Amino acid sequence: MPTSDSEDFESADEGHASPEKKERKKRLSSSNYSDNALETEQKPSNTKIKSENVQKVVEKVKDADGWDDFDIDDGETITPEPAAKSNTPEKTKTKPENVPSIAKDSKKSQDTGWDDFDDWGTEDVSADVQKVDPPKPQPVQSKPITRQPEPNIQEVTDRLAAASTGGSSGWGWGWSVDSLLSSATAGLSSATAGISNITSQVSQGLSTVLETGIGAPDPEELARRTSKDQEARVTKPDNAQKPTAAGDKLTVVGDEQTWPNTGPNDGANAGANAGDAFQFGSLFSGVTKFVETTGTKVIHGGLDTLETIGKKTMEVLQDGDPGLAKKRALLGLGAGDKPVLSQVLREAKAKAEEDDRVREEKREAKEVHYENLFDDFEGLVHLEALEMLSKQVSMRIEERIRSVDADKRQDIKETLQQVAELCEMPEEDEDDEESPSEDLSKSDAFLERLQTATQDLGLKLQFQPLVKQYKEILDYISTVDSETPIKTLYKRGVSTLAQSTALSVEQYHKAAEMLLVKSRRSTADEADALTQMTVVLTKHISELATLFTEKLNALPSDNKEQVNTYITNLFLEAGNSSTYIQNAFQLALPILQIGAV
Amino acid sequence: MAYAYLFKYIIIGDTGVGKSCLLLQFTDKRFQPVHDLTIGVEFGARMITIDGKQIKLQIWDTAGQEAFRSITRSYYRGAAGALLVYDITRRDTFNHLTTWLEDARQHSNSNMVIMLIGNKSDLESRREVKKEEGEAFAREHGLVFMETSAKTAANVEEAFINTAKEIYEKIQEGVFDINNEANGIKIGPQHSTAGGASGAGGAGAGGAAGGGCC
Repeated sequence: MPTSDSEDFESADEGHASPEKKERKKRLSSSNYSDNALETEQKPSNTKIKSENVQKVVEKVKDADGWDDFDIDDGETITPEPAAKSNTPEKTKTKPENVPSIAKDSKKSQDTGWDDFDDWGTEDVSADVQKVDPPKPQPVQSKPITRQPEPNIQEVTDRLAAASTGGSSGWGWGWSVDSLLSSATAGLSSATAGISNITSQVSQGLSTVLETGIGAPDPEELARRTSKDQEARVTKPDNAQKPTAAGDKLTVVGDEQTWPNTGPNDGANAGANAGDAFQFGSLFSGVTKFVETTGTKVIHGGLDTLETIGKKTMEVLQDGDPGLAKKRALLGLGAGDKPVLSQVLREAKAKAEEDDRVREEKREAKEVHYENLFDDFEGLVHLEALEMLSKQVSMRIEERIRSVDADKRQDIKETLQQVAELCEMPEEDEDDEESPSEDLSKSDAFLERLQTATQDLGLKLQFQPLVKQYKEILDYISTVDSETPIKTLYKRGVSTLAQSTALSVEQYHKAAEMLLVKSRRSTADEADALTQMTVVLTKHISELATLFTEKLNALPSDNKEQVNTYITNLFLEAGNSSTYIQNAFQLALPILQIGAV
Repeated sequence: MAYAYLFKYIIIGDTGVGKSCLLLQFTDKRFQPVHDLTIGVEFGARMITIDGKQIKLQIWDTAGQEAFRSITRSYYRGAAGALLVYDITRRDTFNHLTTWLEDARQHSNSNMVIMLIGNKSDLESRREVKKEEGEAFAREHGLVFMETSAKTAANVEEAFINTAKEIYEKIQEGVFDINNEANGIKIGPQHSTAGGASGAGGAGAGGAAGGGCC
């Protein structure tokens, strides 16, 4: 049942979307605001009295809000049937402090409320009346709010109201509206059952009802409130004529419903009203069949109910938390949640764009990032492995020093020092005495130099990778022409340097490993050979750098500055490469030393 | 190559059991029947994905020759995983497992994941070590066991990747301190950048919320 009901509700809502009605809705909510404002001022301390006061307030407010219009409408549509009812409202007005009168009022309102309910059932009969009724619950709803004097609450409730009426604007509260709607409809469908209960409740006074009814109020309650509103409106001071109109309306409704009791009996007599209500209860079963056709009525009522519920909810929420500061913080609702949301979205978008840009830049930078390339060519891991060996061997040397006598210790230290001196890099004053034999290609000459340098090492080092790479570079350089983008050339240059360095470092690592397993050591020769090798390799690096920078310079480019930056970077990386190579050499030193002690 | 983690592996075992072939099969997906003797250590690397994360396996393929034993021992340090390989067609390689295991346990960190691998499973006719024996050894020493063939590539991927998964699980369990590189795990540049960015994002959100409150 509830499901189908809620569906009806939705469809009714859609049908409800006419501008006129929307406007009404707006007015409705605006009236709420002013209600609140007035109520806040009043601050009734006594709960019982409060309901009275509220009614008063509501009445006043309604005048200001144009509820008069509605009343007038009613008057127009409905045949005036002056009843004692008009008096009742006045009573309320004149004796607001009187509790008994409240009871009367409530009974009366109950009476009228049932009228309204009937209206819902009456298909199209008194359309205007129907429309008018639903908004009315509002003032009554505001009663609970009267208890909360804090101005903050107003804000909150305002927002709440705005959310329920505004639809799209209230994203934060949408869920509650939905759930409440469905519960409200559910209540409607099962209305008949609870009528007798309701009537008795009504006599107890509205305040009690509201207090107990924090959840979704039953449609009966709604109706009751509606009636009260009506009365309240009627009692408004400025409408001298209006009371009659309202009264007319009420009675007319009764007539239409063919509920004889309503119209005639509804005088200022509270007892009579109660009786009416009970009779209504018996008749009410007939109303259920109209529930499906409630349409706009239901919507109005539903929205009003929602507001009531919302306000009540806020009230409960605010217990011990004035201004809802804590709860709002808990829910993550800042003072301006909506601006924050859009701002967050905007920030997220900007962040995503920034991330993309940074990622792109990084990718770009990485392509020519020397360290990364060096790592990719396994230069780093060879260096790491060499370092591990170096450390271990150093420890062994220290152990050996500790284990020998003091006089021998000095000898060992001297030997170590001698080896270290052997491994000092020679000054770069020596000219290229080795005549680069014309019959050898550059790469072959490079291999020859390497072999000559490491002749005395006593190891069979594998220089092929280095030579092969050099060949490839030379081939590549020869293909470079004016069509080659400078960036491509630059990238290749950096990559070449990184690869050559990695291959060079690998030679030291391999040499160290082989030296460690070598059976017969000749440290002096080994040291000399490794030093020579270092010279050859660092020269090779600078030669490669020169090769690329010269080519870069030769390329036609309209961006000389960029070319210069590239050239500078290449020389920088070449220096970097030499450092790596010499570091590797130094790491190999303990391995040379241990052969001597 | 961006990666979230880098795991250092070592492959150990007697000479000729197929350590370098396993590595070549895993990194290059090819088999080279004749292989130069490994000197000291050689390296291989491959990217794998576990749990949506890019993990770079940096594999240290050690020389199996007795002569290099003292050198290779110094490479155990800082390995997160080890593949201990024997040859199912040579019982002596299986018999030496205990020595290898002692070496590994002694020179590496205690959390290192060790995978026992009986290689050359394609040579069933020449099998000398039953699969059950390998399983029993693994069970006894708390290792993961697998028979592989570097030639047919059977189980090669699995051996490397399952080891990585074990390491990854240990990271998740907090067994490995990823910030201690002696554990053989390095956090990739990408990973640390992401962490920094999210941290900054969190701070930014906090700042925005603060602004909202005020």
